[in-house]
Amino acid sequence: MGALLPVLVLSLWEALSRAGVLSEDGFSRPSRFFVAGAKALADGTLLVQTAQTFAAAGQALAIAAFAGIVLGAILGLFRPLERAASLTIESLRPIPSVALIPLSLLLFGFSRDMSAAVAAFACFWPILLVTISAVRSVDVRLIEVGRLLGYSLPNIIAKFALPAALPAILVGIRVAAGIAIVVTVTTEIVTNPRGLGFAMTMAAQSLQADLVWATLMWVGVIGYLLNWGLERLERRWLRYR
Amino acid sequence: MLEAHGLSVAYGAQTILRDVSFDVAEHEFVCLVGPSGCGKTTLLRTLAGLTAVSSGSARFKARSIDGPQTELAVVFQDYARALLPWRSVRGNIALALEARGIPSAEHAGRIAPLLEKLRLAQHADKFPSQLSGGMQQRLQIARCLAQEPQVLLMDEPFGSLDAITRQELQDEVARLAKDERRTVVFVTHDLEEAIYLGDRVIALAANPGRIAEIVTIQLPRPRNQLTTREDPRFLEYRHRLYRHLGH
Repeated sequence: MGALLPVLVLSLWEALSRAGVLSEDGFSRPSRFFVAGAKALADGTLLVQTAQTFAAAGQALAIAAFAGIVLGAILGLFRPLERAASLTIESLRPIPSVALIPLSLLLFGFSRDMSAAVAAFACFWPILLVTISAVRSVDVRLIEVGRLLGYSLPNIIAKFALPAALPAILVGIRVAAGIAIVVTVTTEIVTNPRGLGFAMTMAAQSLQADLVWATLMWVGVIGYLLNWGLERLERRWLRYR
Repeated sequence: MLEAHGLSVAYGAQTILRDVSFDVAEHEFVCLVGPSGCGKTTLLRTLAGLTAVSSGSARFKARSIDGPQTELAVVFQDYARALLPWRSVRGNIALALEARGIPSAEHAGRIAPLLEKLRLAQHADKFPSQLSGGMQQRLQIARCLAQEPQVLLMDEPFGSLDAITRQELQDEVARLAKDERRTVVFVTHDLEEAIYLGDRVIALAANPGRIAEIVTIQLPRPRNQLTTREDPRFLEYRHRLYRHLGH
């Protein structure tokens, strides 16, 4: 059912292109970019580029999730610390992640780390903020139960606070996963000569509109698959609900 | 075993409890009863080490209570908030064993009798959200027993259950307290429940919370939902304590 709209749009596109209404130079034609995409898939280039983008985005997400959850749990549990950190957080958070590209390039050169660092910065904030608010809204009764059973503070965080906050944190991670792909591809388009972003830049420079479109749609497909996978993971972890 | 001596609790200018003194003997079942707002829950929380005393003292085995200790287990009224929704029945009980550092190889052997005792054996792998209110409360009690405490502090444990389930659980708790020889402090606003369960009933008065009367209940055990409640002495206790509930 959800596939109806894309199929309709692509068919209309194909028809308009064949009728000469849409310029083939820029818009290519669905039948052509499916061929271009299939070719790139078959000769492996698209897969290599996908792996590069995924690796950088995955690395970014892992770093951001680890840092965001640990720091978010601490700040969520200790109000005074959160107040002390809020000025720093609120002044760093508005920095556009792509503004860090030059700095990251300086630090990491043309590498996966360069993309991952920029994307990690972008992903960190939503995970941090969601974790702070999720941990803060954990029912005090659960914490009391932990204390009454004789658990130490680190154990109360690990066994009570974080699992209770997990549903909200997982939503934050899913949002951040989308951001990771977006920012990683952006860094690849702007400077980093690797991954799907770079593939699109190169295809555009050699006037291969079909390949540009094919890659673009591929990014959409993997973004969709990523979200689908994370949603399934969420459902499995939260099956108690 | 447990004692309050000149215990007062105040939040800012508001006095919740004033000069409360009583003691609870080992294996005794003491009920705290009083109108809402008389501070009976606060009193229980000070005994649990969850609420700090402003003046006077709360002591367990002659040692001042300055925080939660595993010898004292608490059964909360709102069982749904006290259970971990992501852990099964078994997992919630195991929580108490993990806290005591009991190797996981021994868990099954320790959990089984508790499941049996609290009639949860068929539900061992369900999550709390799949249980009725009465079962959830029995699960919370099972977890408290797994803690192997000397004292059970129960805060209106049956307050949100229906009448039939409540009577069932009253008898179960009375039996558990006797069989396992636990000391119980039981908070309730239900006077009949207090008389039915208690060896002694401590009636509290409100504003500020203080002790109104302490009555020793001399009804034979085991008690019976029909005959005990029809016993003339039961009615006598009820008459005597009724006025403390703000009537």
